[in-house]
Amino acid sequence: MCWRLRRFLAPREDVTLPERTKLKFMDKVPAVPKVRREPRRLRDIRGPSREATEFTQGQYGILALGGGYLHWGHFEMIRLTIGRCMDPKTMFAVWRVPAPYKPITRKSLGHRMGGGKGPIDHYVTAVKSGRLVVEVGGHCEFGEVKHFLERVARKLPFPAAAVSRNTLQHMQEEEEEKRLNNQNPWTFERVVTGNMLGMRKYLSPYDLRFKGRYWGKFFLKHRV
Amino acid sequence: MAALGGGSGGQWRQGWLPVLQLIRHGSKAVTRHWKAMHFQRQKLMAVTEYLAPKPPIPEQCLPPKKQIVEEDDGYVRLLRRQVAEAFRDNRMIVVCQYNPMANEDMLLMRHYLRKHNIEVKFFLNEIVRPVLSQSKYKNLLPLFVGRNIVLVSPETKAKEMLRVLRSVPQINLLGACIDDTILSKKGVENFAKLPSLEASQGQTVGALALLPSQTCSLLQRGSVRLTALLDEYIRQLQAGAEVTPGSPGGNPAKPVPSQSSEAH
Repeated sequence: MCWRLRRFLAPREDVTLPERTKLKFMDKVPAVPKVRREPRRLRDIRGPSREATEFTQGQYGILALGGGYLHWGHFEMIRLTIGRCMDPKTMFAVWRVPAPYKPITRKSLGHRMGGGKGPIDHYVTAVKSGRLVVEVGGHCEFGEVKHFLERVARKLPFPAAAVSRNTLQHMQEEEEEKRLNNQNPWTFERVVTGNMLGMRKYLSPYDLRFKGRYWGKFFLKHRV
Repeated sequence: MAALGGGSGGQWRQGWLPVLQLIRHGSKAVTRHWKAMHFQRQKLMAVTEYLAPKPPIPEQCLPPKKQIVEEDDGYVRLLRRQVAEAFRDNRMIVVCQYNPMANEDMLLMRHYLRKHNIEVKFFLNEIVRPVLSQSKYKNLLPLFVGRNIVLVSPETKAKEMLRVLRSVPQINLLGACIDDTILSKKGVENFAKLPSLEASQGQTVGALALLPSQTCSLLQRGSVRLTALLDEYIRQLQAGAEVTPGSPGGNPAKPVPSQSSEAH
Protein backbone atom coordinates (compact mmCIF):
# COMPACT_ATOMS: atom_id res chain seq x y z
CA MET A 1 0.00 0.00 0.00
CA CYS A 2 2.86 2.38 0.75
CA TRP A 3 3.90 2.94 -2.88
CA ARG A 4 0.59 4.67 -3.49
CA LEU A 5 1.85 7.51 -1.31
CA ARG A 6 4.45 8.32 -3.97
CA ARG A 7 3.19 11.92 -4.17
CA PHE A 8 3.35 12.45 -0.42
CA LEU A 9 6.77 10.97 0.29
CA ALA A 10 10.19 12.47 -0.22
CA PRO A 11 12.54 10.61 -2.63
CA ARG A 12 14.99 8.07 -1.19
CA GLU A 13 18.37 9.56 -0.39
CA ASP A 14 20.62 6.51 -0.59
CA VAL A 15 19.90 5.98 -4.32
CA THR A 16 21.73 7.95 -7.04
CA LEU A 17 20.44 7.75 -10.58
CA PRO A 18 23.05 7.18 -13.30
CA GLU A 19 23.21 9.41 -16.39
CA ARG A 20 21.48 7.03 -18.79
CA THR A 21 18.54 5.59 -16.91
CA LYS A 22 17.07 3.52 -19.75
CA LEU A 23 18.46 0.15 -20.86
CA LYS A 24 21.31 0.26 -23.36
CA PHE A 25 20.62 -0.97 -26.89
CA MET A 26 22.20 -4.40 -27.45
CA ASP A 27 23.67 -5.27 -30.85
CA LYS A 28 22.50 -8.28 -32.79
CA VAL A 29 26.05 -9.08 -33.86
CA PRO A 30 29.17 -8.15 -31.87
CA ALA A 31 31.40 -5.38 -33.23
CA VAL A 32 33.99 -7.94 -34.36
CA PRO A 33 31.92 -10.81 -35.78
CA LYS A 34 33.41 -14.25 -35.30
CA VAL A 35 34.92 -15.94 -38.29
CA ARG A 36 35.61 -19.31 -36.77
CA ARG A 37 32.50 -21.41 -36.12
CA GLU A 38 32.40 -22.57 -32.49
CA PRO A 39 31.29 -25.92 -31.07
CA ARG A 40 27.95 -26.04 -29.32
CA ARG A 41 29.29 -26.18 -25.72
CA LEU A 42 25.96 -26.66 -23.98
CA ARG A 43 27.68 -26.69 -20.61
CA ASP A 44 27.33 -22.89 -20.56
CA ILE A 45 23.63 -23.52 -19.81
CA ARG A 46 24.05 -26.35 -17.34
CA GLY A 47 24.27 -25.91 -13.59
CA PRO A 48 24.25 -22.92 -11.27
CA SER A 49 25.60 -19.53 -12.32
CA ARG A 50 28.85 -18.21 -10.89
CA GLU A 51 28.56 -14.59 -12.03
CA ALA A 52 25.88 -11.90 -11.55
CA THR A 53 24.12 -13.77 -8.74
CA GLU A 54 23.98 -10.75 -6.37
CA PHE A 55 22.62 -7.22 -6.72
CA THR A 56 25.07 -4.41 -7.48
CA GLN A 57 23.40 -1.13 -8.43
CA GLY A 58 19.66 -1.62 -8.38
CA GLN A 59 17.21 -2.90 -5.77
CA TYR A 60 14.91 -5.06 -7.93
CA GLY A 61 15.63 -7.44 -10.78
CA ILE A 62 14.72 -10.52 -12.78
CA LEU A 63 16.29 -13.76 -11.58
CA ALA A 64 16.71 -16.68 -13.99
CA LEU A 65 15.46 -19.95 -12.49
CA GLY A 66 16.67 -22.13 -15.35
CA GLY A 67 19.29 -22.13 -18.07
CA GLY A 68 18.78 -20.86 -21.61
CA TYR A 69 19.93 -18.67 -24.47
CA LEU A 70 18.81 -15.07 -24.93
CA HIS A 71 18.86 -13.78 -28.49
CA TRP A 72 18.39 -10.29 -29.87
CA GLY A 73 14.59 -10.57 -29.97
CA HIS A 74 14.51 -11.19 -26.21
CA PHE A 75 16.81 -8.26 -25.59
CA GLU A 76 14.59 -5.94 -27.59
CA MET A 77 11.49 -7.16 -25.82
CA ILE A 78 13.04 -6.54 -22.40
CA ARG A 79 14.43 -3.15 -23.39
CA LEU A 80 11.16 -1.88 -24.87
CA THR A 81 8.85 -3.26 -22.16
CA ILE A 82 10.94 -1.90 -19.31
CA GLY A 83 11.50 1.38 -21.17
CA ARG A 84 7.76 1.75 -21.65
CA CYS A 85 6.72 0.90 -18.08
CA MET A 86 9.33 2.73 -16.02
CA ASP A 87 9.67 6.43 -15.27
CA PRO A 88 13.10 7.55 -16.55
CA LYS A 89 13.22 10.48 -14.12
CA THR A 90 12.84 8.44 -10.94
CA MET A 91 13.95 4.92 -11.93
CA PHE A 92 16.89 3.38 -13.75
CA ALA A 93 17.58 -0.04 -15.29
CA VAL A 94 20.86 -1.83 -15.93
CA TRP A 95 21.78 -4.99 -17.92
CA ARG A 96 23.43 -7.84 -16.03
CA VAL A 97 24.01 -10.02 -19.09
CA PRO A 98 26.45 -9.28 -21.92
CA ALA A 99 25.36 -8.65 -25.50
CA PRO A 100 25.05 -11.76 -27.69
CA TYR A 101 28.50 -13.20 -28.24
CA LYS A 102 28.04 -16.91 -28.93
CA PRO A 103 27.56 -17.75 -32.62
CA ILE A 104 24.84 -20.27 -33.46
CA THR A 105 25.05 -22.01 -36.83
CA ARG A 106 22.09 -23.19 -38.86
CA LYS A 107 22.07 -25.32 -41.94
CA SER A 108 19.78 -24.16 -44.74
CA LEU A 109 16.39 -25.80 -44.79
CA GLY A 110 15.69 -28.92 -46.73
CA HIS A 111 19.20 -30.30 -47.07
CA ARG A 112 20.38 -33.73 -46.10
CA MET A 113 22.83 -34.37 -43.31
CA GLY A 114 26.47 -33.86 -44.11
CA GLY A 115 28.37 -31.27 -46.09
CA GLY A 116 30.09 -29.73 -43.08
CA LYS A 117 28.95 -27.31 -40.39
CA GLY A 118 26.43 -24.66 -41.41
CA PRO A 119 27.20 -20.93 -41.51
CA ILE A 120 26.67 -18.62 -38.54
CA ASP A 121 23.00 -17.67 -38.29
CA HIS A 122 22.75 -15.50 -35.20
CA TYR A 123 24.36 -14.78 -31.86
CA VAL A 124 23.06 -15.57 -28.37
CA THR A 125 23.97 -15.04 -24.71
CA ALA A 126 24.10 -18.02 -22.41
CA VAL A 127 22.32 -17.65 -19.05
CA LYS A 128 22.62 -20.15 -16.21
CA SER A 129 20.11 -20.55 -13.36
CA GLY A 130 20.52 -18.13 -10.48
CA ARG A 131 21.74 -15.27 -12.64
CA LEU A 132 20.23 -11.79 -12.69
CA VAL A 133 19.22 -10.63 -16.14
CA VAL A 134 18.20 -7.00 -15.52
CA GLU A 135 18.40 -4.77 -12.48
CA VAL A 136 16.02 -1.90 -11.79
CA GLY A 137 16.44 0.74 -9.10
CA GLY A 138 15.59 4.29 -8.13
CA HIS A 139 12.97 6.09 -6.05
CA CYS A 140 10.40 3.35 -6.33
CA GLU A 141 8.92 0.47 -4.35
CA PHE A 142 8.78 -3.19 -5.26
CA GLY A 143 5.01 -3.01 -5.63
CA GLU A 144 5.32 -0.55 -8.54
CA VAL A 145 8.07 -2.42 -10.32
CA LYS A 146 6.90 -5.98 -9.73
CA HIS A 147 4.11 -6.15 -12.24
CA PHE A 148 6.05 -5.21 -15.35
CA LEU A 149 9.09 -7.24 -14.27
CA GLU A 150 6.86 -10.27 -13.92
CA ARG A 151 5.42 -9.68 -17.36
CA VAL A 152 8.93 -9.65 -18.80
CA ALA A 153 9.94 -12.70 -16.76
CA ARG A 154 7.06 -14.69 -18.22
CA LYS A 155 8.22 -14.05 -21.77
CA LEU A 156 11.79 -15.25 -21.29
CA PRO A 157 12.78 -18.67 -22.71
CA PHE A 158 13.65 -20.02 -19.25
CA PRO A 159 11.61 -19.79 -16.02
CA ALA A 160 12.30 -16.48 -14.28
CA ALA A 161 10.93 -14.40 -11.42
CA ALA A 162 10.91 -10.78 -10.34
CA VAL A 163 12.93 -10.33 -7.13
CA SER A 164 14.06 -7.58 -4.82
CA ARG A 165 17.05 -7.61 -2.50
CA ASN A 166 14.84 -8.67 0.38
CA THR A 167 13.03 -11.42 -1.50
CA LEU A 168 16.28 -12.85 -2.84
CA GLN A 169 17.80 -12.94 0.61
CA HIS A 170 14.59 -14.49 1.92
CA MET A 171 14.77 -17.20 -0.77
CA GLN A 172 18.37 -18.01 0.09
CA GLU A 173 17.60 -18.16 3.80
CA GLU A 174 14.63 -20.43 3.17
CA GLU A 175 16.79 -22.79 1.11
CA GLU A 176 19.37 -22.91 3.86
CA GLU A 177 16.69 -23.58 6.48
CA LYS A 178 15.23 -26.38 4.37
CA ARG A 179 18.64 -27.93 3.99
CA LEU A 180 19.21 -27.84 7.75
CA ASN A 181 15.82 -29.07 8.97
CA ASN A 182 15.44 -31.85 6.41
CA GLN A 183 14.16 -34.90 8.29
CA ASN A 184 15.27 -37.31 5.58
CA PRO A 185 18.61 -38.89 6.62
CA TRP A 186 19.36 -39.82 3.01
CA THR A 187 20.37 -36.82 0.93
CA PHE A 188 21.48 -36.88 -2.69
CA GLU A 189 24.79 -35.33 -1.73
CA ARG A 190 25.51 -38.02 0.82
CA VAL A 191 24.66 -40.83 -1.58
CA VAL A 192 26.74 -39.41 -4.39
CA THR A 193 29.83 -38.52 -2.39
CA GLY A 194 29.83 -41.94 -0.76
CA ASN A 195 28.84 -43.75 -3.97
CA MET A 196 26.27 -45.70 -2.02
CA LEU A 197 24.91 -48.75 -3.86
CA GLY A 198 27.14 -47.88 -6.78
CA MET A 199 24.82 -45.02 -7.75
CA ARG A 200 27.55 -43.19 -9.57
CA LYS A 201 27.21 -45.71 -12.37
CA TYR A 202 23.91 -44.02 -13.22
CA LEU A 203 24.91 -40.46 -12.38
CA SER A 204 27.23 -37.98 -14.01
CA PRO A 205 30.40 -36.56 -12.40
CA TYR A 206 28.62 -33.21 -12.56
CA ASP A 207 26.08 -34.50 -10.07
CA LEU A 208 28.75 -34.22 -7.40
CA ARG A 209 28.59 -30.47 -7.92
CA PHE A 210 24.88 -30.12 -8.67
CA LYS A 211 23.66 -32.40 -5.84
CA GLY A 212 20.43 -33.36 -7.51
CA ARG A 213 19.14 -29.78 -7.91
CA TYR A 214 19.99 -29.43 -11.61
CA TRP A 215 19.02 -31.73 -14.46
CA GLY A 216 20.12 -30.58 -17.89
CA LYS A 217 19.19 -26.94 -18.15
CA PHE A 218 16.40 -27.25 -15.55
CA PHE A 219 16.64 -26.09 -11.97
CA LEU A 220 14.63 -28.23 -9.55
CA LYS A 221 13.45 -25.73 -7.01
CA HIS A 222 11.54 -28.12 -4.76
CA ARG A 223 14.56 -30.31 -4.09
CA VAL A 224 16.75 -29.69 -1.07
CA MET B 1 26.08 -49.50 -23.97
CA ALA B 2 28.64 -49.15 -21.27
CA ALA B 3 31.93 -47.32 -21.47
CA LEU B 4 35.09 -47.95 -19.51
CA GLY B 5 36.22 -45.03 -17.39
CA GLY B 6 39.41 -44.11 -15.47
CA GLY B 7 42.99 -45.07 -16.23
CA SER B 8 45.17 -47.46 -14.30
CA GLY B 9 45.18 -46.92 -10.52
CA GLY B 10 42.40 -44.42 -11.00
CA GLN B 11 40.57 -45.45 -7.81
CA TRP B 12 43.36 -44.21 -5.59
CA ARG B 13 43.43 -40.65 -6.95
CA GLN B 14 41.27 -37.66 -5.83
CA GLY B 15 38.70 -37.48 -8.59
CA TRP B 16 38.08 -41.02 -9.64
CA LEU B 17 35.56 -42.11 -12.18
CA PRO B 18 33.69 -45.38 -11.78
CA VAL B 19 34.81 -48.31 -13.87
CA LEU B 20 31.59 -48.50 -15.83
CA GLN B 21 29.44 -45.56 -16.92
CA LEU B 22 26.18 -46.04 -18.71
CA ILE B 23 25.79 -44.20 -22.02
CA ARG B 24 22.66 -45.15 -23.93
CA HIS B 25 20.69 -43.19 -26.52
CA GLY B 26 22.79 -40.55 -28.29
CA SER B 27 21.06 -37.51 -26.68
CA LYS B 28 23.39 -35.11 -24.91
CA ALA B 29 23.31 -34.06 -21.27
CA VAL B 30 21.56 -30.71 -21.89
CA THR B 31 18.37 -31.02 -23.93
CA ARG B 32 15.46 -28.73 -24.65
CA HIS B 33 12.99 -31.35 -23.46
CA TRP B 34 13.02 -32.99 -20.05
CA LYS B 35 15.51 -35.80 -20.53
CA ALA B 36 14.21 -39.15 -19.24
CA MET B 37 16.10 -40.25 -16.13
CA HIS B 38 17.44 -43.74 -15.66
CA PHE B 39 15.11 -45.73 -13.40
CA GLN B 40 17.78 -46.05 -10.74
CA ARG B 41 18.22 -42.32 -10.76
CA GLN B 42 14.49 -41.83 -10.49
CA LYS B 43 14.48 -44.09 -7.45
CA LEU B 44 17.35 -42.13 -5.95
CA MET B 45 15.54 -38.85 -6.51
CA ALA B 46 12.41 -40.28 -4.87
CA VAL B 47 14.34 -41.55 -1.86
CA THR B 48 16.27 -38.33 -1.29
CA GLU B 49 13.29 -35.97 -1.34
CA TYR B 50 12.82 -33.25 1.28
CA LEU B 51 10.84 -34.23 4.39
CA ALA B 52 9.47 -31.29 6.34
CA PRO B 53 9.78 -31.39 10.15
CA LYS B 54 6.53 -32.36 11.89
CA PRO B 55 5.63 -30.63 15.15
CA PRO B 56 4.94 -33.05 18.10
CA ILE B 57 1.26 -31.98 18.20
CA PRO B 58 -0.19 -31.48 14.70
CA GLU B 59 -1.39 -27.96 14.00
CA GLN B 60 -4.94 -29.15 13.40
CA CYS B 61 -5.27 -30.23 17.04
CA LEU B 62 -4.22 -26.89 18.47
CA PRO B 63 -6.45 -23.81 18.55
CA PRO B 64 -5.67 -21.58 15.55
CA LYS B 65 -3.22 -18.75 16.17
CA LYS B 66 -4.70 -15.48 14.98
CA GLN B 67 -1.73 -13.50 13.73
CA ILE B 68 -2.74 -9.88 13.46
CA VAL B 69 -0.01 -8.37 11.32
CA GLU B 70 -0.40 -4.62 11.79
CA GLU B 71 1.94 -2.82 9.45
CA ASP B 72 1.74 0.84 10.28
CA ASP B 73 1.33 2.07 6.73
CA GLY B 74 1.51 5.74 6.05
CA TYR B 75 -1.44 5.33 3.74
CA VAL B 76 -3.58 3.78 6.47
CA ARG B 77 -2.60 6.55 8.84
CA LEU B 78 -3.56 9.15 6.25
CA LEU B 79 -6.97 7.56 5.73
CA ARG B 80 -7.57 7.43 9.49
CA ARG B 81 -6.67 11.08 9.79
CA GLN B 82 -9.15 11.91 7.02
CA VAL B 83 -11.91 9.98 8.81
CA ALA B 84 -11.19 11.73 12.11
CA GLU B 85 -11.22 15.12 10.37
CA ALA B 86 -14.53 14.37 8.66
CA PHE B 87 -16.14 13.44 11.96
CA ARG B 88 -14.68 16.44 13.75
CA ASP B 89 -15.37 19.24 11.28
CA ASN B 90 -18.93 18.44 10.24
CA ARG B 91 -22.11 18.90 12.21
CA MET B 92 -24.21 16.42 10.28
CA ILE B 93 -22.95 12.93 9.57
CA VAL B 94 -25.33 10.51 7.88
CA VAL B 95 -24.57 6.83 7.24
CA CYS B 96 -26.43 5.24 4.33
CA GLN B 97 -26.49 1.81 2.80
CA TYR B 98 -24.91 1.88 -0.65
CA ASN B 99 -26.25 -0.41 -3.34
CA PRO B 100 -24.54 -0.48 -6.72
CA MET B 101 -26.03 2.06 -9.09
CA ALA B 102 -25.25 3.59 -12.45
CA ASN B 103 -22.43 6.10 -12.53
CA GLU B 104 -24.60 8.84 -14.04
CA ASP B 105 -27.18 8.52 -11.27
CA MET B 106 -24.42 8.62 -8.69
CA LEU B 107 -22.96 11.72 -10.28
CA LEU B 108 -26.35 13.46 -10.36
CA MET B 109 -27.00 12.63 -6.73
CA ARG B 110 -23.60 13.94 -5.73
CA HIS B 111 -24.26 17.11 -7.70
CA TYR B 112 -27.59 17.77 -5.98
CA LEU B 113 -26.13 17.09 -2.58
CA ARG B 114 -23.18 19.33 -3.34
CA LYS B 115 -25.59 22.18 -4.05
CA HIS B 116 -26.73 21.90 -0.44
CA ASN B 117 -23.10 21.73 0.70
CA ILE B 118 -23.33 18.00 1.55
CA GLU B 119 -20.31 15.85 0.61
CA VAL B 120 -20.45 12.16 -0.17
CA LYS B 121 -17.52 10.23 1.29
CA PHE B 122 -16.48 6.61 0.87
CA PHE B 123 -14.60 5.14 3.81
CA LEU B 124 -13.30 1.61 4.27
CA ASN B 125 -14.96 -0.17 7.18
CA GLU B 126 -11.70 -1.61 8.45
CA ILE B 127 -10.30 1.90 8.83
CA VAL B 128 -13.42 3.55 10.23
CA ARG B 129 -14.10 0.94 12.92
CA PRO B 130 -10.89 1.41 14.97
CA VAL B 131 -11.15 5.21 14.63
CA LEU B 132 -14.75 5.24 15.90
CA SER B 133 -14.19 2.76 18.72
CA GLN B 134 -11.61 5.10 20.23
CA SER B 135 -13.68 8.26 19.80
CA LYS B 136 -17.04 9.21 21.34
CA TYR B 137 -19.03 7.78 18.40
CA LYS B 138 -18.95 4.21 19.72
CA ASN B 139 -22.66 3.72 19.18
CA LEU B 140 -22.28 4.27 15.44
CA LEU B 141 -20.11 1.14 15.15
CA PRO B 142 -22.95 -1.29 14.25
CA LEU B 143 -23.77 0.90 11.25
CA PHE B 144 -20.38 0.39 9.61
CA VAL B 145 -20.98 -3.15 8.41
CA GLY B 146 -21.32 -3.95 4.73
CA ARG B 147 -21.26 -1.46 1.90
CA ASN B 148 -22.02 2.03 3.10
CA ILE B 149 -21.36 5.68 2.33
CA VAL B 150 -21.14 8.68 4.61
CA LEU B 151 -22.73 12.04 3.85
CA VAL B 152 -21.13 14.86 5.78
CA SER B 153 -22.09 18.50 5.97
CA PRO B 154 -21.24 21.51 8.13
CA GLU B 155 -24.92 22.59 8.00
CA THR B 156 -27.98 20.55 8.99
CA LYS B 157 -30.20 20.52 5.94
CA ALA B 158 -32.06 17.33 6.63
CA LYS B 159 -35.14 18.13 4.56
CA GLU B 160 -33.31 18.74 1.28
CA MET B 161 -31.08 15.75 1.87
CA LEU B 162 -34.08 13.47 2.45
CA ARG B 163 -35.70 14.79 -0.70
CA VAL B 164 -32.62 13.95 -2.77
CA LEU B 165 -32.24 10.54 -1.18
CA ARG B 166 -35.89 9.69 -1.72
CA SER B 167 -35.40 10.14 -5.44
CA VAL B 168 -32.51 7.62 -5.39
CA PRO B 169 -33.85 4.15 -4.40
CA GLN B 170 -30.39 2.57 -4.09
CA ILE B 171 -29.29 4.69 -1.13
CA ASN B 172 -31.07 3.85 2.14
CA LEU B 173 -30.61 5.92 5.25
CA LEU B 174 -29.40 3.87 8.19
CA GLY B 175 -28.59 6.41 10.86
CA ALA B 176 -27.25 9.86 11.48
CA CYS B 177 -25.34 11.87 14.02
CA ILE B 178 -26.49 15.49 13.96
CA ASP B 179 -24.93 17.92 16.44
CA ASP B 180 -23.60 15.03 18.55
CA THR B 181 -27.05 13.48 18.74
CA ILE B 182 -27.53 10.01 17.29
CA LEU B 183 -30.77 9.71 15.34
CA SER B 184 -32.40 6.77 13.61
CA LYS B 185 -34.22 7.00 10.28
CA LYS B 186 -37.46 8.11 11.96
CA GLY B 187 -35.52 10.57 14.08
CA VAL B 188 -34.05 12.15 10.96
CA GLU B 189 -37.50 12.43 9.38
CA ASN B 190 -38.87 14.09 12.51
CA PHE B 191 -35.86 16.36 12.58
CA ALA B 192 -36.57 17.34 9.00
CA LYS B 193 -40.21 18.16 9.86
CA LEU B 194 -39.09 20.54 12.58
CA PRO B 195 -39.24 24.22 11.63
CA SER B 196 -35.96 25.91 10.96
CA LEU B 197 -33.87 27.34 13.78
CA GLU B 198 -34.93 30.94 13.19
CA ALA B 199 -38.64 30.07 13.14
CA SER B 200 -38.37 27.99 16.33
CA GLN B 201 -36.37 30.74 18.01
CA GLY B 202 -39.05 33.24 17.09
CA GLN B 203 -41.73 30.87 18.41
CA THR B 204 -39.92 30.44 21.74
CA VAL B 205 -39.42 34.17 22.09
CA GLY B 206 -43.06 34.75 21.29
CA ALA B 207 -44.19 32.14 23.82
CA LEU B 208 -41.98 33.62 26.53
CA ALA B 209 -42.98 37.17 25.72
CA LEU B 210 -46.69 36.26 25.85
CA LEU B 211 -46.94 36.31 29.68
CA PRO B 212 -45.18 39.64 30.27
CA SER B 213 -47.33 41.18 27.55
CA GLN B 214 -50.42 40.06 29.49
CA THR B 215 -49.18 41.48 32.81
CA CYS B 216 -49.90 45.05 31.68
CA SER B 217 -53.48 44.24 30.69
CA LEU B 218 -53.97 42.19 33.92
CA LEU B 219 -53.01 45.13 36.11
CA GLN B 220 -55.20 47.53 34.22
CA ARG B 221 -58.20 45.19 34.11
CA GLY B 222 -60.01 46.62 37.16
CA SER B 223 -59.81 50.27 36.19
CA VAL B 224 -60.59 49.46 32.53
CA ARG B 225 -63.77 47.62 33.58
CA LEU B 226 -64.76 50.49 35.82
CA THR B 227 -64.27 52.93 32.96
CA ALA B 228 -66.29 50.72 30.65
CA LEU B 229 -69.15 50.43 33.14
CA LEU B 230 -69.20 54.21 33.74
CA ASP B 231 -69.29 54.79 30.00
CA GLU B 232 -72.20 52.38 29.75
CA TYR B 233 -73.98 54.14 32.57
CA ILE B 234 -73.50 57.52 30.94
CA ARG B 235 -74.82 56.17 27.66
CA GLN B 236 -77.84 54.69 29.38
CA LEU B 237 -78.50 58.02 31.15
CA GLN B 238 -78.26 59.86 27.90
CA ALA B 239 -80.47 57.30 26.25
CA GLY B 240 -83.03 57.63 29.11
CA ALA B 241 -82.95 61.40 28.91
CA GLU B 242 -83.66 61.26 25.14
CA VAL B 243 -86.49 58.73 25.46
CA THR B 244 -88.43 60.69 28.09
CA PRO B 245 -87.79 64.33 27.43
CA GLY B 246 -91.09 65.54 29.11
CA SER B 247 -90.69 63.71 32.40
CA PRO B 248 -88.96 65.52 35.27
CA GLY B 249 -85.27 65.22 35.20
CA GLY B 250 -85.22 64.13 38.86
CA ASN B 251 -87.42 60.95 38.48
CA PRO B 252 -84.97 58.79 36.47
CA ALA B 253 -82.35 59.92 38.87
CA LYS B 254 -83.88 57.95 41.79
CA PRO B 255 -83.73 54.37 40.52
CA VAL B 256 -80.33 55.04 38.99
CA PRO B 257 -78.31 55.46 42.23
CA SER B 258 -79.87 52.16 43.48
CA GLN B 259 -78.65 50.47 40.27
CA SER B 260 -75.19 51.86 40.66
CA SER B 261 -75.11 50.78 44.33
CA GLU B 262 -76.23 47.27 43.22
CA ALA B 263 -73.52 47.28 40.63
CA HIS B 264 -70.92 48.03 43.35
